[in-house]
Amino acid sequence: MQGPDHRLALGLFLSLLAAAVIASMIAVRASALPDSATGKMLAVFDPRLDEQAMFAALVRAGGRPLRRTWLASVWVVAGDAPGFAGSLKQAGAIGAYGELPVSPQLAGCFAYADARSRELFALRP
Amino acid sequence: MTEVAESPPARWLYASSTIIVAGCLIALIAFGVRATAGLFTAPISEAHGWGREVFGFAMAMQNLIWGLAGPFAGMVADRYGAMRVIIVGAFIYAAGTALMAFADTPGMLFLSGGVLMGIGIALTSFSIIMAAFGRLVAPQNRSWSFGIATAASSMGQFVFAPLGQLFITAYGWQNALLLLAASSLLMVVLAVPLGASKGGVARGATELDLSIGQALQRGFGHGSYLLLISGFFVCGFQIAFMTVHLPAYLMERGISAGLAAWAIGIVGLFNVVGSYLAGVYGGHASRRQGLVFIYLARSAIIAAFILFPVTALSTVLFTASMGLLWLSTIPLTMGLVTLMFGTRYMATLYGFVFFSHQVGSFFGVWLGGYLYDRYGTYDPVWWISIALGVFAAIVHWPIRERLASSFAAP
Repeated sequence: MQGPDHRLALGLFLSLLAAAVIASMIAVRASALPDSATGKMLAVFDPRLDEQAMFAALVRAGGRPLRRTWLASVWVVAGDAPGFAGSLKQAGAIGAYGELPVSPQLAGCFAYADARSRELFALRP
Repeated sequence: MTEVAESPPARWLYASSTIIVAGCLIALIAFGVRATAGLFTAPISEAHGWGREVFGFAMAMQNLIWGLAGPFAGMVADRYGAMRVIIVGAFIYAAGTALMAFADTPGMLFLSGGVLMGIGIALTSFSIIMAAFGRLVAPQNRSWSFGIATAASSMGQFVFAPLGQLFITAYGWQNALLLLAASSLLMVVLAVPLGASKGGVARGATELDLSIGQALQRGFGHGSYLLLISGFFVCGFQIAFMTVHLPAYLMERGISAGLAAWAIGIVGLFNVVGSYLAGVYGGHASRRQGLVFIYLARSAIIAAFILFPVTALSTVLFTASMGLLWLSTIPLTMGLVTLMFGTRYMATLYGFVFFSHQVGSFFGVWLGGYLYDRYGTYDPVWWISIALGVFAAIVHWPIRERLASSFAAP
């Protein structure tokens, strides 16, 4: 190489990003609650839906909407009927989750695992 | 100064681009897997009925051992080559991560997550990788290669932290640790291209043939090296303080958790950009002046941030600009070590500089908590950070940016 190969750097960056997205998608899919799940959970909707439509879907599924998270399309909802997670999906939710690791991380430090900040920003029902 | 890189065999496996990609992936994995450790605080503590201090102590031990083992890992890498060190490190790293899953006593957790992972990180860390780059990459591309390795390390945390959480959610915390341990073993294969650097005899044409003892003695007798070590303490202090305490500070100032989370994510993104740009900059401009600018800019930005009301806009601007300056010190500092002492003992000599960084990290985290408890505000530590930034700029200014005379061949 005669000088810095910026194309190599860009290619590496984009490849890593793509690999991370694919791995995340696989793991997110695996972390979805089974249809039979009940109790408190996160309901994820298409971000293009408005607030009223999401609320209506939660109620239609027989759930009690507890709060909207800082991600507008993710709600904390509770439901005791058997098969509640499945009902949520039938009502229009993309999926039901026990926990979603969507918090951006404070990248690149050598010091200590920022467990405290993760707890602060974790998306849990 | 006439400098030469080792001439690796002309095969694709040992081509510059292969070496750089493999090194970056090792840096990404080594740094990324470690970044997931904090995610296991709650599950491990709850599973065993331990207080958080047990896990916290194991992680503190890990950082301390990483810092302490760094210079020794560097010595071994300088003597036997990066490939062997990384391969051994990858096995130790994987063993430590996997054993954490089965640690049912605090002592076992200290051994696995603390001692083994600490040694594993030291043996696979980017200082070992950058030392290999220093020997294998053409001198005109060295600084750039340091920049891309640092950027890859930053990407590691960005990529692995959410992935680690997903693993825990999807497969349970014990399986997640085993998956991460398996990921660490990828470093064994990735280390092969770095085997083009055998270590031991690699040195520039203008460098003296010194033993490691002589190199250390002459290094520590060189004023500019001591200034560099003292300056890097500040980097560790500032970064570690902000890593641990910034989220709490933002929340205290009324920033919503959502915005704070995204703003903090911006640090990570801009950090990748800043590290890379610093590497590019160091390839054709004064590294010393670059470091002076970074430390002064950090102080100015922190002062502006805490003197004005904290708003959504100021938070985003602060985290973006701080992200650009976050790890941009690394390629420039490594570049100065290489410039002053050549490539033969660069891993060893950088190991000692990095140890200073880790000591600074310890004080940044500890003082942040201690002074907050004492005064009920983070302001004293912010002001200490500002003063230390100015101090670092002052100590970097007189650094002589050339091969140390005690290392130069007559």
